[in-house]
Amino acid sequence: MFEIDWNILLPSLVVAGLVLVVLCVDIIRPDNKGGVSGYLSLLGVGVAIWVSLSLWGRSPTHGLGGMLFLDNYALFFNLIILAGTGLTIFVSTGFLEREEGGRSEYYLLILAATLGMMLMAAGADLIVIFLGIELMSIALYILVGFFRRRTDSNEGSMKYLLLGAFATGFLLYGIALVYGSTGTTNLREIELAVAQGRVYTHPMLLGGVALLIVGFAFKVSAVPFHMWAPDVYQGAPTAITGFMSAGPKAAAFAAFFRVMVASLGDLSGDWSGAIWMLAALTMTVGNLGALSQRNIKRMLAYSSVAHAGYVLVALVAANERGIAGGVFYLLAYAFMNIGAFAVIVALGRKGDENLEISGYAGVGFRHPGIGLAMTLFMVSLAGLPPTAGFFGKFQIFSAAVEAGYIWLTVIGVLNSLVSVYFYLGVVVSMYMRQPVGQAHAVSMTPFARVALLTASLGTLYIGLAPTSLLQMARQTVSALL
Amino acid sequence: METAVFYVLATIAVASAVLLVLFRNPVYSALSLVATLFAVAGLFVLLNAYFLAAVQIIVYAGAVMVLFLFVIMLLNLGHSEALESTVGRYRLTGVIFLCALLVAQLTAVGTRQLRGPVAENEALRTENVQTLGKLLYTDFLFPFEVASIILLVALIGVVVLVKRETPETT
Amino acid sequence: MDQWILTLLTFVPVIGAAVILCVPGEQKNTIRWLALLTTGICMVLAVWLFNAYDRANPAMQFVVQVPWIPSFNIEYHIGLDGLSVSMVLLTALITLLCIPASWSIEKGVKGYFALLLLLQTGMQGVFVSLDFFLFYVFWEIMLLPMYFLIGIWGGPRKEYAAIKFFLYTLAGSVLLLLAMLAMYFNTTDPATGENTFNMLVMMDQANHSEWLRAGTIFGRSAPLMLWMAMFIGFAIKVPLFPFHTWLPDAHVEAPTAISVILAGVLLKMGTYGILRFNYQMLPDASQYFSTLLAVIGVVNIVYGAFCALAQTDLKRLVAYSSISHMGYVILGMSAFTVHGINGAVFQMFNHGTITAMLFLLVGVIYDRAHHRYIVFPNDYHEPELRGQLGFGGLWTHMPIYGSLTMIAYFAALGLPGLSGFISEALCFLGAFPVHRTLTIIGTLGVLLGAGYMLWAFQRLFMGSFNERNKDLPEINSREIATIVPLAVVVIVLGIYPAPVLDLIAASLSDLSHTLSAHSGMAANAF
Repeated sequence: MFEIDWNILLPSLVVAGLVLVVLCVDIIRPDNKGGVSGYLSLLGVGVAIWVSLSLWGRSPTHGLGGMLFLDNYALFFNLIILAGTGLTIFVSTGFLEREEGGRSEYYLLILAATLGMMLMAAGADLIVIFLGIELMSIALYILVGFFRRRTDSNEGSMKYLLLGAFATGFLLYGIALVYGSTGTTNLREIELAVAQGRVYTHPMLLGGVALLIVGFAFKVSAVPFHMWAPDVYQGAPTAITGFMSAGPKAAAFAAFFRVMVASLGDLSGDWSGAIWMLAALTMTVGNLGALSQRNIKRMLAYSSVAHAGYVLVALVAANERGIAGGVFYLLAYAFMNIGAFAVIVALGRKGDENLEISGYAGVGFRHPGIGLAMTLFMVSLAGLPPTAGFFGKFQIFSAAVEAGYIWLTVIGVLNSLVSVYFYLGVVVSMYMRQPVGQAHAVSMTPFARVALLTASLGTLYIGLAPTSLLQMARQTVSALL
Repeated sequence: METAVFYVLATIAVASAVLLVLFRNPVYSALSLVATLFAVAGLFVLLNAYFLAAVQIIVYAGAVMVLFLFVIMLLNLGHSEALESTVGRYRLTGVIFLCALLVAQLTAVGTRQLRGPVAENEALRTENVQTLGKLLYTDFLFPFEVASIILLVALIGVVVLVKRETPETT
Repeated sequence: MDQWILTLLTFVPVIGAAVILCVPGEQKNTIRWLALLTTGICMVLAVWLFNAYDRANPAMQFVVQVPWIPSFNIEYHIGLDGLSVSMVLLTALITLLCIPASWSIEKGVKGYFALLLLLQTGMQGVFVSLDFFLFYVFWEIMLLPMYFLIGIWGGPRKEYAAIKFFLYTLAGSVLLLLAMLAMYFNTTDPATGENTFNMLVMMDQANHSEWLRAGTIFGRSAPLMLWMAMFIGFAIKVPLFPFHTWLPDAHVEAPTAISVILAGVLLKMGTYGILRFNYQMLPDASQYFSTLLAVIGVVNIVYGAFCALAQTDLKRLVAYSSISHMGYVILGMSAFTVHGINGAVFQMFNHGTITAMLFLLVGVIYDRAHHRYIVFPNDYHEPELRGQLGFGGLWTHMPIYGSLTMIAYFAALGLPGLSGFISEALCFLGAFPVHRTLTIIGTLGVLLGAGYMLWAFQRLFMGSFNERNKDLPEINSREIATIVPLAVVVIVLGIYPAPVLDLIAASLSDLSHTLSAHSGMAANAF
């Protein structure tokens, strides 16, 4: 039996408690259509952020039978995930009202997914990471198909479920092989076993690592395991698409980085070549795919594939700058991408319509604030200064140069050049095209305004004064290296 | 002997898993899944993990499969008359197949019994139920709890997806 | 004040832009006056700077150095030497004149002036940055306002021109980014022992790593590859042949004031970059590429001039003349002589003022006639006009406009007594001892320049008056007010160039001596 260090459990416990509270609210007030649950969830997310911040900077520990870590790395990802969740909830309130799909379960599922993500970031055992992934995925499968009357929502959900289950199979098989060759699923013990050469057979371990990479690559939507992303992103309710692109991606990378660098870092000679290929392919296919998209959600789906590629570059570099850069980038990405989706939600019409990029013609003059915000997000996604996206990319590429991956950097830089074209396409449509037909009124709830403003300010702040967040990102590295 | 049994069971498991995908008739697919699950249970027995084998058969081959078949019948996916005629035609094959499986399992258990228990590892002892339970509530308590949350979420998810939408109450 | 002057000069326009954004969009005149006020303040600051600048001191002045992102050793590090001070003055002057030149803009006034001011911040920032990262940020910041100004307020093919401008320049920036990272990881600050973006540290070769001195990358010499990467990045901006194709499109589609800024200031950033980065950080490699530079300079001069001769669109003609005139800058700096480099920087300044005049004058006639064809092209939408002169005999009809145009055209073709002559002569003088043949070919450009300028002038102002233009009003006082200051500068500097030459001389002769001290890299290094 072991002593329970409640601090380790605290952030997840807050969110888990929140799940149950929201569940009970639904029972007490069945006719609230999710309104009360939304406010409660926001409050709870705020508490969880506060808890995570107050635990910041302690010496790293692990507990609950070696199942969970409490270190800056996990806490930083908690912040990314919770920020993503909070912004999504802000965006969702008005969105659900418009789509008349408001139900308490919506928030409950978002929170459950958040809990799963936090476990992925803090998991000290492959089992916990796996369970975290499952918890997150199950909640997401349902959220993607939340609008049951819409066929594309159903289709997206079904595709996501099938391919997700497939990925889970790979991941589990990988875990089994790693367990078979090292005799443990605990990350620290795997690290020791690899370091001391206590491995049953080396090929078996490498097979396990390869399958783990495939499983994680599915979850971060790296090419060639990205096929689900465009359809799922397009089909899901827009607010959920924004949610999926930020938190779950960050959480999958959190687990991916921890497993690869902390536990299997000694084998980096064996896996860095594979990740190199993955990164190069992911960036290139993602950006080229986005070039020809007319639907903005599909375009952002390919863009999110491409951005996974940039973060993989950081994993290839796997040095201090690289990990800090990757972690930092995911934070920046959460802000700018959810911001972009907040704009899409605001400009959308009932039935999740008006998603063609050409439909944004004239937005820049009709709704100057929204146009300005969207421009900021697009510029940031394209990686131009003085925004968050630029500094994030700058760090990743400088890490790759430092580690000697010049060609990969060149590929990455060229890719971000290509990406400018389609991100600016949105801006071109907003400002330089003549609008067709009647102007549609855009009504944003105060909550949605707050979300948009937070995301915009965050994107600018991270770009202009990144020092404090960069310092925090640097402090996470010791957990891995 | 043990190796031979392993390969027989493994072949059955893989082959019936492949058949599960290839069959056009869902009833056949379901039945070949049963075969796979049985073969895997046999593999557990080979590893002295009797408890897991029993759970495998009771839960998966038993409860879950019955549910599967019920759904198939209710949705009338398999055409009943085709089912009857084919079952009739392959009755003998089926019986032989099942007998072979039974013999294989008995042999496996028998050889274990004759050799006596090998206790290299605590988890491999015959009383592995206790060990498993103890582990589940100590070292693996946290994953166990997480699993329960996953089940809760899955349950809610099912409700979300199938609940009849109530008409607007204003 | 010494501490704040450069910061103010850079960021006052942003404050102005922010204030403008708070004004309701209907109050167009308030917005215009606010923009004028902001740029006016900047001009006052620039004049103060012009007086306070210590002409005898070749080193950086008004330096401010504050940490910005410490974990990368990125600093807010700005300062001014002779090279940058002339450009800072030019920027302040040109932007100020662009505000009245944009007075007639009616669409999205608020956004237009806010972006224009933001652009000014970017330009000033580029010229004062002494931290490579900061420089890069300003370099990129400037792109977006320019993109919008062309793309929203431009002519019929604005979208194409804007995206072409953007992608071309960004492709250059990408090379610059890679070069920046390479420089960063191979420069050690002796004070801290860490890598640094400090440009002054990068300029001392003692701080370079072994790799940066003699290493290889992709099987080639590292310093030369790095030099090439930076050079192409800047060459696209200048623009040098063969990276020049974005320029005519951008100019033709851009509104007048934006053309003025584009030609007057933006192009100078390219040559400024070459002088600041390529020359000062990698002097050996610069020596190695001396002949290449001269060749490119001459190609630019001659090619630009020939293209200008063939144009029927007045604005396109001016755009190509820009390409030709930037060739003098490159030819002048290619020889590393004191005369050549002084001539190059002086030519940068003069080209800024002269081209600004040319574009403003094109804008005047375009606002009135709504076309700017010297000769109507063969695909003009009114068939009966095809092949006919667009104007002609304007001199009698618009004498003031004609006189101002004459000053500008004569300055552009390098008439003695006007500023362009002095700087062009200095460029040739500096280049001649080193690149004799090339310089002689380059002087062909002067001849061709006289050709296209005079030919255009003749077809616009001489001959019989074209009756279709009888309703064109004479140039108004607002337009005169934008052009006359430039004309004064051009005439004064043509007679007495010392104010600018004194400003730049000390730093540039230092630069020239440093460069000459490097004998260049072995010819087989590349």
